[in-house]
Amino acid sequence: MQLKPGLRLFAILLGACLQSPHIAHAEDLVAPDRIGRIDAPKSFSFRVLTVHSNNNAQPKFAAEMAALYEKYAHLHPDWQVSIQLMSLQIPQEHARLLEQARSGTAPDCSALDSFEVPLFIRAGVLKPIDQYFSREEIDDLFPFIRPIISDAAGHIYAWWWTTDLRLLYRNTALVPDPPRTWQETKQAALAARRAADSDLEGLLFNGGRNETTTVDFLPQFWAQGGKLVDENGAAVFGQEPNRTYLLNAIAFYRDLIVSGASPARVASISNYDDLTAATIAGSAAMMVNGDWAMSQMQAAMKPEDFAKWAVSMLPGPTAEQRSTSSGGWTFVSFSKDPEKVKACMDLVREVYMGPATEVLRRLPTRQSEFDSPLYRSNFYLQIKQYLKLGQARPGLPIYTEISNRLQIAISEALSGTRTPEAAVDEAVDQVAKAAARYQ
Amino acid sequence: MTSVRVIGPEDDPPDGMRRARRRGRDDHPFWWLLPVALLLAIFYLYPVLEVVRISFTDATLLNSTYAYTLDSYRSVLADSALPRIWMATVIFVAGSVIGQTALGLLIALTLQAGFRRRLPGVRTVQVIVLATWIIPGVASAITWQLLLSEASYGFFNAMLRQVSLSPVAWLSDSRLAIWSATLANIWRGTALSMILLYAGLQTISPTLYEAAAVDGATAFQAFRYITLPRLGPALLVNIVIVSIFSLNTFELVMPLTGGGPGRSTEVLALAAYNAVFHDFNLAQGSVLAVLMLLINLGLTIVYWLASRGLR
Repeated sequence: MQLKPGLRLFAILLGACLQSPHIAHAEDLVAPDRIGRIDAPKSFSFRVLTVHSNNNAQPKFAAEMAALYEKYAHLHPDWQVSIQLMSLQIPQEHARLLEQARSGTAPDCSALDSFEVPLFIRAGVLKPIDQYFSREEIDDLFPFIRPIISDAAGHIYAWWWTTDLRLLYRNTALVPDPPRTWQETKQAALAARRAADSDLEGLLFNGGRNETTTVDFLPQFWAQGGKLVDENGAAVFGQEPNRTYLLNAIAFYRDLIVSGASPARVASISNYDDLTAATIAGSAAMMVNGDWAMSQMQAAMKPEDFAKWAVSMLPGPTAEQRSTSSGGWTFVSFSKDPEKVKACMDLVREVYMGPATEVLRRLPTRQSEFDSPLYRSNFYLQIKQYLKLGQARPGLPIYTEISNRLQIAISEALSGTRTPEAAVDEAVDQVAKAAARYQ
Repeated sequence: MTSVRVIGPEDDPPDGMRRARRRGRDDHPFWWLLPVALLLAIFYLYPVLEVVRISFTDATLLNSTYAYTLDSYRSVLADSALPRIWMATVIFVAGSVIGQTALGLLIALTLQAGFRRRLPGVRTVQVIVLATWIIPGVASAITWQLLLSEASYGFFNAMLRQVSLSPVAWLSDSRLAIWSATLANIWRGTALSMILLYAGLQTISPTLYEAAAVDGATAFQAFRYITLPRLGPALLVNIVIVSIFSLNTFELVMPLTGGGPGRSTEVLALAAYNAVFHDFNLAQGSVLAVLMLLINLGLTIVYWLASRGLR
């Protein structure tokens, strides 16, 4: 029987439509918005940072993440994971997540910035996930992690799978020895500027209005013994001696700018990419940046230029008083369906608990993961030591308010809008007013 | 000859009655407007009323319960940061209005003169100016970040260095940063002013200029005594629209400065965003949104009156 051309076209299209699901799952277990077979009987939604997924902008990382997802899909043929990408607008993303969790529309499985976890625990939108992890695995976590992801009874609500660390990066051709104190750092930056051309910037760090500024700044405060909150969770950073410690740390930053060791523009820098860009361009002698910057620099610099760069612990008021800050990302489940919670935790365990940290060159959160060959290089051995001195931001909801107010205070003091004393007092006052909201 | 039969009520069939009723409905604008009114009520009026309602509570994103109170208004109005936010907003809006109107008028006059003289490339200039308006605010902010950057790759400072001038702290100087943000907004919004004012210029009769030329008027006199008075209502409409757009601008300032250094570029729209998304304070964010709504309503009334003047 001969079909008319129109009917023939219709038959071809119909056949293609009917066959397409089989073609898709046969050839493509992983897509930008999906893990698993397209016709899998069960599904759950998964929100993840773009850089932590198969949508990573670097093709190498994207391909390796896709391979990990594919392995998961083979092991769990009944599940289809619907990928939702999370942007780097962290406050906005987390405010939206909180609202969605309250109304029951949050994704079943989601990434959560580690410092936001206490806020979600307190809001009552998370359930304990202890049963999905062994006691050994939980005990293997670095000491600063447990308090953030646990409640008072010790139950964990999130799995913190990767951490990071702030480091002092230096061009060893300009700054041969790692500065240990604030004074040494200023002198090293000024010496580097004198030795190089006038456009060279001595030390760069975040000083604008963003969480990055607080994360870079807090080690200077912690190194002196400063505390943001007391044992009861009340904000005490405005009380003595903490207030003095804060002012000392701001004075260090201010002195860097006034002396010319750092450019005034640090008051407007609020993301690490600006710092990395300046380093790659060869216009900075030192910078405060996260451990991840090393792989970015390696990818973008000529090998002979990259070889000049080294990292060290952040400086402190004295060589003995040192600290650094750790952040990182967790996964949580907002689902009320135990089957979906388990599927989410399987994904976390099989993809992110180890394999993804290596693939993405991120720092693991468990000491045993450092036994992997990747982490045996000098860089990672150094970092493993520094992690022991690492501090996480307080695991309390009030922290986000303290951080916002400190960002404004630091930025105002650095730009000269206010005296450091007035800026800190304003921050203390505003946090005190806001404290009622967090009770 | 066509005979006309008058149909009385007694022999009017039921079908005819229905048709007549339908005709009555069709003639009445209410039924035509109802779908639009419903859509507006659901998607515009309801959210606005909800924001007003929340502004009279102590709602936060942290607690699901809330109580009705005036404390949020008291707290916002007594906030020591509010005068700085007002000042940044006034500079940003006033600077944008003056800059966009002046540049928009200049470009509109130039284009009109170009079209009148049939100069080549005038249409291209018009398209280039319009392109700045099409670019999304976030993309404009990123472009201006690169232009204003104080790093070695910053465009403006590189230009200054080329002519042996000192670099300028465009974004890190708290007094200058708000002007830098305003400059970026002027660049983005000038095309809108150009469109509005060019349309206004088209309504002025060429015979007026011909008469002025016969009387020996100079170009400046023609502009002063013919163009400006005739362009008055269009200028007013432009000022009101630019004011509303600038007051609501958030997507440009946020990526450009984040409100800093300190709070020097924290305009009202950004303060509302920060209150909700950084401080999780729904009520105070809503209070700031209500303040913006009131200002916008005032400007809309002015716009409405000006539009009537134009007609």
